[in-house]
Amino acid sequence: MYRRSLGAHVRASLEYEADFWILVFGVGLSQCVGLVFIGAVFAKVPHINGWGLWEVVLMYSMMTIGQGCSELFAEGSWDLPMLVNRGELDRMLVRPYPVILQVCSFRLGMNAFGTLAVGTVLLVTALARLHVHWTPARAAIALLVFASALVVKVSLTVIANASAFWLRGTISTFAAGADQLGDLTRYPLTIYGVGLRAFLSTAVPFAFVGFFPAAWVLGHGQSAWVGLLTPLAAAYCVTVAVLAFRFGLRRYDSAGN
Amino acid sequence: MPSVAMRPYLAIARISWRSALAYRIPFVLSLCMMVFNLLAMLSLWRVLLASGHPLAGFTWPEMRAYLLVSFVTGCLVSSFTDFTMAFRIQSGLVALDLTQPVHYQRARFAQCLGMTVLESATAAVVCGAALAAFGAIPVPALPQLALFLVSLVAVVPLKFLIVYSSGLLCFWTHNYLGVSFARAAVSAVLSGALVPLVFFPGWLRILAEVLPFQGIASTPALIYLGQASGWDAVRLIGIQLLWIAVLWAGASAAWNAALRRLTIHGG
Repeated sequence: MYRRSLGAHVRASLEYEADFWILVFGVGLSQCVGLVFIGAVFAKVPHINGWGLWEVVLMYSMMTIGQGCSELFAEGSWDLPMLVNRGELDRMLVRPYPVILQVCSFRLGMNAFGTLAVGTVLLVTALARLHVHWTPARAAIALLVFASALVVKVSLTVIANASAFWLRGTISTFAAGADQLGDLTRYPLTIYGVGLRAFLSTAVPFAFVGFFPAAWVLGHGQSAWVGLLTPLAAAYCVTVAVLAFRFGLRRYDSAGN
Repeated sequence: MPSVAMRPYLAIARISWRSALAYRIPFVLSLCMMVFNLLAMLSLWRVLLASGHPLAGFTWPEMRAYLLVSFVTGCLVSSFTDFTMAFRIQSGLVALDLTQPVHYQRARFAQCLGMTVLESATAAVVCGAALAAFGAIPVPALPQLALFLVSLVAVVPLKFLIVYSSGLLCFWTHNYLGVSFARAAVSAVLSGALVPLVFFPGWLRILAEVLPFQGIASTPALIYLGQASGWDAVRLIGIQLLWIAVLWAGASAAWNAALRRLTIHGG
């Protein structure tokens, strides 16, 4: 059902082909900006706080793929403020399907394809350049950790947007701010002060999208084992997202006629 | 007393900053974005330059100054959205703008100037906070400071024209989001806002030299730091002014061409 709803959006967008490619190009280019920065910095220094070029690229690629997944699977949540504000959520409440999934598939971020393409290329390149000692067990756990990391990112987007139930504006200011906060974790977490580090790894666990999973796969630093907690962080984020929707819906009282 | 011809534009500028005050949300939003980015950059460079060795000629206090100047230039003209313009062009609402007895390009510029008042004020507040958190920055001598201010003022029309010209592309494409993303990406890299241009390899630096983008971040920052002084600084300001003239004329020509092919349906 969720899949069908998203598929319809893809087909609709492909109708306008040239426009679709302009968007993919634009998004791809904007994803490259961070990369140009990393490249320029590493041309002058061998490492950032002990993190080498490809290690940083690995973190960066996880953040990029995570963002692509959010755009693909939860873009509709950005419309929640509008849906709540205009009382259009009523329609979804009467359908026999979880509201949270209906909201998420309300719209599809067409930029997702550009973002995912860039992210995947980066991830594959970084892993090929880094000498990770792969064993079947390690690969299996890495897969689980990376998948959980993406769940963390998508859930955080949904949670941030669920603020609409309480804030009642028509634009997701709060969510966009939260998203920008997440961009801080594109660089090794160790460059920040203790307070900010703790905040980004517990309360708002953006660090579990790129930094901790990458640190675990690379076995880098004393806190590499923290990466193994990524599934836990994912479970925590999904629970909060579902609860936020449950409490939010209880607060929701249509627009009235 | 402003001349009669100026009066409508002054009114437009006034309305624009009042409406930015009334609809604070998008304004605060875009500011938030830049503040988080500034925080990340300051934290990162603090670590990279902690050893005391300069990188590409930048020490930590100098890099701090560079980042703050480029933050200020990033704030200027940030709330003049090409999206509003794009929406009005694509929906046909631009027809209403055409009926107004003002010059379209000048009116948009007046709009942008109105918001600059607010943008400068917020930039100043954020800079104060950043100075308190990350330490003071070197201040140039008076003549150099004067040159810096001139180049900073030139950022406003130059950046406006870059954004405005890309907005005009809406007359030719339906997907403005992609165009806007591409423009923002290119301008972030080639303006020196992302990282000082000396960090780039030669070919990218040459590309930045011949394009107008360096004038919206790199030029004022280098002049502030004294890395461009005397005639060198004057030359850079001259390049800024030259691009303002070229882009102003180019955008006017594009606007006229666009109007000829504009069809608006409905009645």
